[in-house]
Amino acid sequence: MLTRSLKHITLALIVFIWVVPFIALLTTSMRSEVASKTSGFWQAYTPTELGHRFGTHDKGGDAFMVLEGNILERLNKDRESYKLSGSITSILFKGRVPDPENPGKTILLRRLVPPGEVMDVRGGEFIFDEAGDFTWTFPEVTAPKPKNLDVFLNQDPVFGADAFVEVLFENKNVTNALISSFIVTIPATIIPITIAAFAAYAFAWMRFPGRDWLFVVVVSLMVVPTQLAFLPVLQGFSGIASWATQLNSWMTDCELDGTCQVASKTFASLWITHTAFGLPLAIYLLRNYIVGLPRELLESARIDGANHLQIFTKLIVPLSVPALASFSIFQFLWVWNDLIVALYIGPADASDLVFPIRLQKQLGTFQDQLHLLNASAVISMIVPVIVFLSMQRYFIRGLLAGSVKGG
Amino acid sequence: MSSMRTVIASNGLAIALTVIVILPVTGILAFAISAPLDALMANFGTWLHQVGQWSLPLVDTEERFAKIGFALRSIVIAVGLSFLYFGITNWLNAGLARVRTGSDVGRRAAVVEAIQPWVFVGPALVLLLLFLLIPAVSTVSLSLQNSDGAATLSNYAFLWDRSALGYEQIRYALRNSIMWLVLVPTVCISLGLLIAVLADSTRWGIVAKTLIFVPMAISFVGAAVIWRNIFAGGGIEAQQTINGVTPSYQIGLLKNLLGHSPSYNEPLYAIEFWGNFFLMWILVWVQTGFAMIIFSAALRGVPEDTIEAAKIDGANPIQMFFRIKLPQIFSTVVVVWTTLVILVLKMFDIPYALSSNDDDKLLLATMMENARNNWSVGNDNVENLFASIAVLLMATVVPNMIFNARRIRREQKEMGH
Repeated sequence: MLTRSLKHITLALIVFIWVVPFIALLTTSMRSEVASKTSGFWQAYTPTELGHRFGTHDKGGDAFMVLEGNILERLNKDRESYKLSGSITSILFKGRVPDPENPGKTILLRRLVPPGEVMDVRGGEFIFDEAGDFTWTFPEVTAPKPKNLDVFLNQDPVFGADAFVEVLFENKNVTNALISSFIVTIPATIIPITIAAFAAYAFAWMRFPGRDWLFVVVVSLMVVPTQLAFLPVLQGFSGIASWATQLNSWMTDCELDGTCQVASKTFASLWITHTAFGLPLAIYLLRNYIVGLPRELLESARIDGANHLQIFTKLIVPLSVPALASFSIFQFLWVWNDLIVALYIGPADASDLVFPIRLQKQLGTFQDQLHLLNASAVISMIVPVIVFLSMQRYFIRGLLAGSVKGG
Repeated sequence: MSSMRTVIASNGLAIALTVIVILPVTGILAFAISAPLDALMANFGTWLHQVGQWSLPLVDTEERFAKIGFALRSIVIAVGLSFLYFGITNWLNAGLARVRTGSDVGRRAAVVEAIQPWVFVGPALVLLLLFLLIPAVSTVSLSLQNSDGAATLSNYAFLWDRSALGYEQIRYALRNSIMWLVLVPTVCISLGLLIAVLADSTRWGIVAKTLIFVPMAISFVGAAVIWRNIFAGGGIEAQQTINGVTPSYQIGLLKNLLGHSPSYNEPLYAIEFWGNFFLMWILVWVQTGFAMIIFSAALRGVPEDTIEAAKIDGANPIQMFFRIKLPQIFSTVVVVWTTLVILVLKMFDIPYALSSNDDDKLLLATMMENARNNWSVGNDNVENLFASIAVLLMATVVPNMIFNARRIRREQKEMGH
């Protein structure tokens, strides 16, 4: 009995550790800027003491002797969302008061004033209660300048989707990154799968000299670090680009407006590089699957006079859907989440950056806007997580085929 | 009549040349012809913008829709080209064979049969040759040259020469690589095994497994952003003490639990030396799901009768696991271990995202990036240095590669091919 509950507790603990970061992510993305940078995400669900600043009244108002108002109303005046509520705990009083030790001189006093205590603000008596109602009384009619006061508020939890709205509609980087990621990922998934499927079919069912050792070479390439290829590949692309630039200046009148330069790091160079890097795994997975298809089926098709292309499109592709699906998920996730290949080979233009690079840059630029950083991260994860969860079965099958014999 | 060999060779050459000419030309033409589609999309976006009265600037909408237009047509073109290739080659192969062999049906079939496999594996082999094999070889040779092309070992001087560029960095990178290499696979495998065993014996195990598996779907940078919420330091400047109390603006959960030391604002992953372990943990968080899924499947494949026999002999669950189940799935453990080792050796994203400029957190891959960005000042053979680090990276992977190739060969033999 003891071991059984120990089992549940251990597993629950591990799951908890795994899930907490996701909770942190979602919570932070739904908080206001101030809340997310001044308190931890775990404090978002309980009333938390946070500091805010409010102005007593608007500039240029009428003269008065007694001003009545509400701190929360003043705080919420310009807020469209994340409206504050809660009880006031104190106001930070900052001001110069006569120094008791050095008559004639003043000292700077910083003190937290609780509700109900009178404090001196611009010569008037300022008093407030927990609900935020304040009265500011002067001995005679005056028109004081508005005073900004720092107030500490035991603030009720408040959430909103503002960060998402801002990131998606006001900051164009994230939308651009989303579009760029789709531009890169979809062809970089479809092209390798097409090429690999044909190659896998040839490796599985066709006879040609050197087939077996070629296959071993192809599969061993699976573990070659892509870093090893970056420099020459990059040089190759810039060679092609300078050649294309010359061709461009020779064939068109681009010299007039100076648009001859052809970029070397483009979406197309990313597609083709991702295709090449994805091929070894694709060929390995698909060949092992296609080899397992019933031989009689193919032979009878050959006897019926079907050529290889017909057999491939009419028989192999429909029968290999599970294997094709598992590889396409791998490749989709790999390309969508890839940082390093895009960094070296992909377009460097700010509007063409893919999501991981954008997110990496935002780790720096959004250091003080954690709600935006987290919202942006959430958006970057929606697509892969949906793909992953909806096709999990195929993903697992692919994993097993890649590492457990007969799995 | 010409011999079979020449017919095959000349037909093959003809097909290859046709493809080399036709595919790029078609691609360029297709892009040029379809260019007005972008403007059309932009107009569509403008219309939507006006109908929906969107708040963002009209220019942005136009730019974005033009980009979507480009995306759509490039997808269609890219996919179309790869289908075009197989269509054309198949048609050419059959057609050329008919022309060259006349009415001899047997010979025609033989020619087609000889060329067809190369048509199918051709694109894959060419791409692998151009983008992996040749670049890898040329990186190795680049690392053995100086910037004038003369043979030298000086690009590796940082390994032994105190005065060489990168002497300090490579020591950090190698130290960290070894720590990552030992810890990450070990922790992932132990946790993966533990979770697999626990989850398969509890009713809600499937939910637990899915939750632990999900991090595999997200990017390493995304994982870094996620864990930043846990490992971060103070959100804004530490406030002055008021009435004897310092308001807590700690925003990182773990740092809050551990207390504010060692310093208020420093994130845990930035701490000297120990910060490495927090970076490693992020990778463990992502990859444990992988180990777990594989072990869970492998454990289910352990034959029932061995378990039954152990039960009759009175083995307790722990003995059962270590004496009966673990030895039987040991080969799977090794496979997972090699996969993780390769992943760790190539690790780049996590340290790059969270501590890119910190020598103390370098790995080989991040050191390469540092070399590319920082060393270029007053040094013209930066590319050769870059290449030499890449070769070191490769050297660390080679033992695994040989191991993997052997395993695959063995598998092929077992499968009877």
